[in-house]
Order: sequence, then structure tokens, then C-alpha cells
Amino acid sequence: MDFVFKNKRISGILTILPKKTVKFEDEMANYSFSPAKCMKLKLAMGYKEHRIAEPGQCSSDFCKFGLQYMFDNNLIKKEDIDALLFVSQSADYYMPPTSNIIQGHFGLKHDCLCLDINQGCAGFEIGLIQSFMLLEQPAINKVVLMNADVLSPKVSDQDRNSKPLIGDAASITIVEKSNDDTTIYANIKMDGTGAFALNIPAGGFRMPSTAETAIMEQDAVGNFRSKNNLVMQGDDVFNFVQREVPPMIEHLLKQADVDKDWADWYMFHQPNKFMLHKLADKLGVPHEKMPANIVENFGNASGVTVPTCISYNLGDVIVNGSSKLCLAGFGVGLTWSSVLVEMSHLMFNQIVEF
Amino acid sequence: MEKLIKKLEEILETENLDVNKKFQDYEEWDSLAALSVISLLDSDYGLPMKYKDLIAFESIKAFCEDVLCRQ
Repeated sequence: MDFVFKNKRISGILTILPKKTVKFEDEMANYSFSPAKCMKLKLAMGYKEHRIAEPGQCSSDFCKFGLQYMFDNNLIKKEDIDALLFVSQSADYYMPPTSNIIQGHFGLKHDCLCLDINQGCAGFEIGLIQSFMLLEQPAINKVVLMNADVLSPKVSDQDRNSKPLIGDAASITIVEKSNDDTTIYANIKMDGTGAFALNIPAGGFRMPSTAETAIMEQDAVGNFRSKNNLVMQGDDVFNFVQREVPPMIEHLLKQADVDKDWADWYMFHQPNKFMLHKLADKLGVPHEKMPANIVENFGNASGVTVPTCISYNLGDVIVNGSSKLCLAGFGVGLTWSSVLVEMSHLMFNQIVEF
Repeated sequence: MEKLIKKLEEILETENLDVNKKFQDYEEWDSLAALSVISLLDSDYGLPMKYKDLIAFESIKAFCEDVLCRQ
């Protein structure tokens, strides 16, 4: 499904990372791999260290910290927030929505649309597209898009598929109306027949958490998980990404009538270095135009990886100047989405620690 | 077939691959080796395959024949 937007801009990105760093080597002993095998895994996937929230820290806490930082530094005014989006798979409660809790915490105005969106790896692109759609309304001039996930407590320590790469983080992006009439191109695709390629079996209404769902079981390749843990069918995800993402990007570029050189940067979701290099090769994009350094430094915090990638790799480059970006997210849902946008003279683009 | 076997020898870290054996008979066979095979099939043969497909082959020879006949 294709989208076209005009007169919208991204005016600021703040990435909020946990202070706590965990090294791959510190967790190796939990995996059913020899140390030599673990080092091979580390090298192939590009694992080094990842940022993990402290026990008790929820994704909303990172959002609150980031918003407070923005208010304190005059990066946004409370009364200017017409919509507050919270894109996450780690909401505080089933009810109420986490976005409402955050609105209440800061005493934001009542004329503010609060919206929780359950999305993961493509959460930044989905959130941007939703923000752009809301900005079509006369009453909405400024949207605050929060992407946040603290999923590390849901990943088993004995799961070498997912534990070495999981990261916790949040980002806050300001999306607003603008006089700039450059076109923003985007697309979204979904395939619910693959909904369980990434999932947490227990804890929802379908299968509530019980003593039984907490029992650890071994899978076919030696990982231990309970039904309360996140589980990823790595081979399905790999095949899905390699099959669907390159044609999606080709389609996006065609829609915009530009070639691959148009984009200065390919800021993609960060599953691991191995998959990103495969994608770059398939697309014929040089590795240096598709940064793959987020998992090794911070971990994969689902929908937060793309803003983290922008904050970490571009920083003031798009505050003092501009860059043409091709953004893409792909994963849980299954959902895959991409956005072609020029980011120019942002008010801020930085990382803070909480 | 020779080209494919050479690649498999690299992945399984062996010089004389016994094609009558199964993948899981090799000591070097694990989830990372499986991903290397899945990735090889994707990049060189445009063929999606799952982990459980790989270990279901009665021999590496049967696997190779399947890959090549689906070309």
C-alpha cells in the first residue's frame, strides 16, 4: 500500500538509551554453545554489547524522561502537542493506554489525541505514516511520536537466538506541518499469516501467564525458553526479510522516480550485521551507506533502532544541514514498511541516557 | 553439484564431505551452520528453506539433488 505526503516534516529526534551496558561475553556461559562457537556467533552477527533497562524500568519511563528533557530544554512546548503516539509492544497495562498515562503525567491539554499502536520492528515507519496522516487534519499541527520498547525481561537468558541482540530504548520524534512541499513517499505491507514468526505465547488473554507457562523447555537447537518468553523463528524471519524487503525498496524508489543513488543513507531496522549486509548486497547499496552498527553498540530495541541509527550516525549533520534518507522496518506482524524522506535542519537529533 | 558441496565443506569445516551422511551427523552442524546454509541457498540459488527442511533430508546428497533440481 503506497502513501504520499506533502507539507510535513520531521523536526527533531531524541533517542533515550539505558545507562546499563551488558557485554556479549558476560552472557555467553548461559548459551548451549562452546566458547569457540559463541565467538563465531559474535563475529557473524556483529554482537558486542547491548543496553538493558534496570529491573522496574518500563518503556514509558524512558518516554517520560525524554519528554521532560525536551520540556526542560525548550525543544517543545506542552501546549503544542496535538497528538501523542506510543508505538510499543511493552505497554504498562492492558488498560489504560500508556499514551494516556503519559499525557496525564505531564498534564497535557485535553485537545490531544493519545494513541497506543502495537507495532515492533517497523514501528518507526508505521508511526511516521500515522503521524503524517493525522497532520492532514486542520486541528493537528504537531505530533509527538514515541517509539519505546523494554522487551529484555521477556527474553530468556538461555536463548542465543534473541538474548545477545535484544536492547531496550525509546525515541521521541516531532513530526509537524511545514511549508516545504517536497513529497514524502512511503509504503506499508502486512502479512498476518506469518504473525507468529515473532511472538510471546503467554501473558495475553488467549494464554494467561501461569506457573505452567513459566516452565522452561528446550527447543530443537538447544535454547531454553518458557511460554512467557519471546520466541523468534529465525529462519522464517531471515527468509521473509530477504524475500520482501528488496522489492519493497525498489518499488519505493520507482514510486518516487529516483534511483538508488538518490538516498544518502539507508537507515534500516537493525536485526544484526549479517542480515543488513545481505540486504545491502541484494539491493546493490554500498555497506557504508547502510549503517549496521546499532546492534553491536546498543542492541535491537525493535521500532527504536531506526531513530537510534539516525541519532547515532548522523547527529548534527541533519541539524546543520540535510540528508536524503531511505528508512525501512521489517518484522513482527509480519509488517514491512519504508519511507523516503529528506531530513533537513532538525531542531535536535541526539542521544541521552536514562 | 561440486560447487554446492565445496560451499557446504566450508560451512561444515571439513575437507572430504561424506554426502551419504546427514547434516546433523557433522560435529560443526548447529543453528549457526544452518543459517549459513539457509543464507547460501537464498543468495546463490534464490531458494527459501527452513531449518526443519534441512534436517529432514536423509542425506546431504539428497539435499543437493533437491536444491539443483529446483533450479
